[in-house]
Amino acid sequence: MSATAPKPAPAVEAPAASAGASERRRRAVRLATDSTALIFVALLVLLAIFSALKPGAFATVNNLRNISIAAAPLLVLGVGMTFVIITAGIDLSVGSVLVFSGVIAVKVMTALGNSGWGVVVVGTVAAMLTGLAWGLVNGALIAKARIPALIVTLGTLGAGLGGAQLITGGVNLRGVPRELVTVVGVGRLFGVVPWLVAVALVVTVVGAVALRMTRFGRYTFAIGSNAEAARRVGINVDRHLIKVYALSGMLAGLAGMISLARFTNTTIAGHSTDNLQAIAAVVIGGTSLFGGVGTILGTVVGVFIPAVLQNGFVILRVQPFWQEVAVGVVLIAAVYVDQLKRRARDRL
Amino acid sequence: MRRTRLTLAATVAALSILAAACGGDAAEEPAGTGTTGGAAATDAGAETGTETAGTETAGTETAGTETAGTGGDYRITLIPGVTGDEFYVSMECGAREAAEELGVELDVQGADTFDPTAQTPVLEAVLADPPDAILIAPTDTQALQAPIQAAVDAGVVVVLVDTTLDDPSIAASAIASDNVEGGRMAAEALAELIGEEGPVLVINVNPGISTTDQRQQGFEGGIEAYENITYLGTEFSNNEPAQAASIVDATLAAEPELAGIFATNLFSAEGAATGIRNAGEAGADISVVGFDAGPAQVDQLEEGLVQALIVQKPLEIGRQGVEQAVAALNGEPVEAEISTDFVTATQENLDDEEIAPFLYRDAC
Amino acid sequence: MTTPLLQAHGIVKNYGHVQALRGADFAVQAGEVVALIGDNGAGKSTLVKVLAGVTHPDGGEIRFSGRVVSLPSPTAARAMGIETVYQDLALAPDLDPAANLFLGRELVRPGLLGRLGFLDKSAMAERTRTAFAEMGAGVQSDTAPVGSLSGGQRQSIAVGRAAAWASKVVFMDEPTAALGVVQAGKVLELIRRVRDSGVAVVLISHNMPQVFEIADRIEVLRLGRRVARYRPAEVSMEDVVGAMTGAVVQEEVS
Repeated sequence: MSATAPKPAPAVEAPAASAGASERRRRAVRLATDSTALIFVALLVLLAIFSALKPGAFATVNNLRNISIAAAPLLVLGVGMTFVIITAGIDLSVGSVLVFSGVIAVKVMTALGNSGWGVVVVGTVAAMLTGLAWGLVNGALIAKARIPALIVTLGTLGAGLGGAQLITGGVNLRGVPRELVTVVGVGRLFGVVPWLVAVALVVTVVGAVALRMTRFGRYTFAIGSNAEAARRVGINVDRHLIKVYALSGMLAGLAGMISLARFTNTTIAGHSTDNLQAIAAVVIGGTSLFGGVGTILGTVVGVFIPAVLQNGFVILRVQPFWQEVAVGVVLIAAVYVDQLKRRARDRL
Repeated sequence: MRRTRLTLAATVAALSILAAACGGDAAEEPAGTGTTGGAAATDAGAETGTETAGTETAGTETAGTETAGTGGDYRITLIPGVTGDEFYVSMECGAREAAEELGVELDVQGADTFDPTAQTPVLEAVLADPPDAILIAPTDTQALQAPIQAAVDAGVVVVLVDTTLDDPSIAASAIASDNVEGGRMAAEALAELIGEEGPVLVINVNPGISTTDQRQQGFEGGIEAYENITYLGTEFSNNEPAQAASIVDATLAAEPELAGIFATNLFSAEGAATGIRNAGEAGADISVVGFDAGPAQVDQLEEGLVQALIVQKPLEIGRQGVEQAVAALNGEPVEAEISTDFVTATQENLDDEEIAPFLYRDAC
Repeated sequence: MTTPLLQAHGIVKNYGHVQALRGADFAVQAGEVVALIGDNGAGKSTLVKVLAGVTHPDGGEIRFSGRVVSLPSPTAARAMGIETVYQDLALAPDLDPAANLFLGRELVRPGLLGRLGFLDKSAMAERTRTAFAEMGAGVQSDTAPVGSLSGGQRQSIAVGRAAAWASKVVFMDEPTAALGVVQAGKVLELIRRVRDSGVAVVLISHNMPQVFEIADRIEVLRLGRRVARYRPAEVSMEDVVGAMTGAVVQEEVS
């Protein structure tokens, strides 16, 4: 006989109302110090400051649209990276997988004539499958062979980029179907939302729902919080980790298509820091590097803060190097806040 | 539940900021050249007294005696291929000199990698608060075509400097060295250095960059004339000196008789010379002809690691860029294409008058 | 004598050269608390792992309600109604009490959403409240991450989880080890309630006073075998300790 639910019990008197009040107070404190809430406020403050300094320039639909377009591939990477980091893992290979998937997609689409929506769909599927394959490799090595994620994904980072350069001879492949560029690349949904941003938004919403409301998401949190406990209650930790890394790889493949749509070539040299930017975005957003805690909304904010900083600084004609410094400061502050919260939490 | 409420509140706040901003959007369309020119003309009269430059400003009201005319309150932004590269820094210096003389405002915004994924967001951000003119060195002939078209459509004068696009006609002017000629000069210089025989290697940057592709092309054309020289082919350094050095090491291992190397740009030449130095004895007989004359390369020339440098004139390119931009803004005739030339620097002639002023700077 | 609910006979387990269990026996009835005690290295934890399906024995047999069974995994043990509270609690500190209670056994929404894996969080929260209320577990916050609660509360949740799901047997490894007097008292109270509801409780403990306070029977392991079985009312603490160390030998009563 299998136990599918805890044994029912006769109703017991609820504790006194005062317990309810202190519970509310505790919740309020937790809300106010919630990392995601804080960083969201920080982003709004940034937007407000830049808008005030350069009203006609910064806070325009066009400029905000451009910021969103530039942030779209990174957001897609960030969603995958959020899942990975919540399991207390890491994926350094995303930039290389993005490039490699783009290369495969271009090869496939070129072989099919490089024109027409059907070819675009096939190319997208090819890119995502390629990314998925790399993710499976990562996951299998991490979960089954028990090699630390940092090492494995460092290896696939090199292998992926090297593979891309082998296939292309170091030369960026050019030439993608016109439809991909003119509609997805520069086109807009309803004339307002760029297709690239729409794709990234869909990925974000699906990711957020999956993380917070499904068993898959809960297992992700559980494994990051205490993998051994998860094992003991019967969760197949190895299989779940493989799925999480496969997801990250697949999304990197999708990001590769987004990059192709925007830049029309495989931009081999342009993604070497994508991995660190994605990790920074996830961490700035309040997800803990130690696992068990995180939100997709936080990642969205974490993607936009550096993007807004870079854009705002250029508009304000500030030296570009200050942008790097600013992002670094925000990153350290975010990790420090997480550490404070952890110390408060762990009474051990 | 509480998180959803927070998200909702934050979204409402963000949207209201946007709405407020958009309310101001309609009035703030980037000004076309006409209105800017008009505003500049009325301001020029008030501004002349405060100009630090010399006689050019006095000539504003009278029929322009200067070829480029004067700028009033023009703002020009220079977007180099990459920051931290002495070629582009020298271009900036030349541009700043011309800007000061003409009384226009110049600022520089760039990315730290030579790649369209980095340059495009910078260009778009610059266009958010558009200057009157942009001097840009496109990092990819194809990927930058659409973004630069957007700049032109927004009424910004665009001048291409150094690199170009697949379709440069959208820009007011394109200024570059005649890189094919430069490559040919390099072939001649290298041939002479190695006694017109032996294997030679080219270290290029990345395909798709118009300038370096042309140098490689020019070199290959020039080296064909020499029967006793074997052309080993071209390797790509990805604009990383470390990678160029590795290429040299690897080639030497495969081809110990390597006689000469042509490195097509600044970082490739720097790296090639480092590779030679690492090789020690084995590298002693190899002649290197580099492109560009940054301070590190000049040092290498003095040390004898590099034998000759084909030196462009980036100061000239920068200067011409500003002058053409101002001419376009003033509605005056513009030269669609300008080719700047080269000098060849060797250890012996480094201090000569014809050579010294053209060496690149690392700061203005 | 009634058939023991869970029974082990001649369990052998080797870890390389180390013989953790050398033919150990064990038996527990429904509705009783049995204390499994022994010195360090006696094999208590190993025996519990074997009976909870975490480890496979190299020899011996396990009977459940008289029938020979094999326990190839913790899931198989749980399917039979056997739950375990580990010494390290096996809680996920970042998840709330309800999530921990239902860990690995989440309730999903009905229909298509359920097949996609959508959680029924309100149902889980409701049942958690009820289950803890029945246990008298007194968890202060429903939504706080478990790691932010006190040690006693965490223990209560771990014990409550096992008690809520166990329909037959609960193993508890040092359940009050890190607790103060008051909190330990509450856990012991919870153990009594679990026993009174008909579930068998097996307690590993070094705390002799506590063992004598709560256990109905004591089984002593030494060097991988059972060496004595006592009823607390009929024996002194010195004798029990003596059996642990080998100073006292008791005839094995089957």
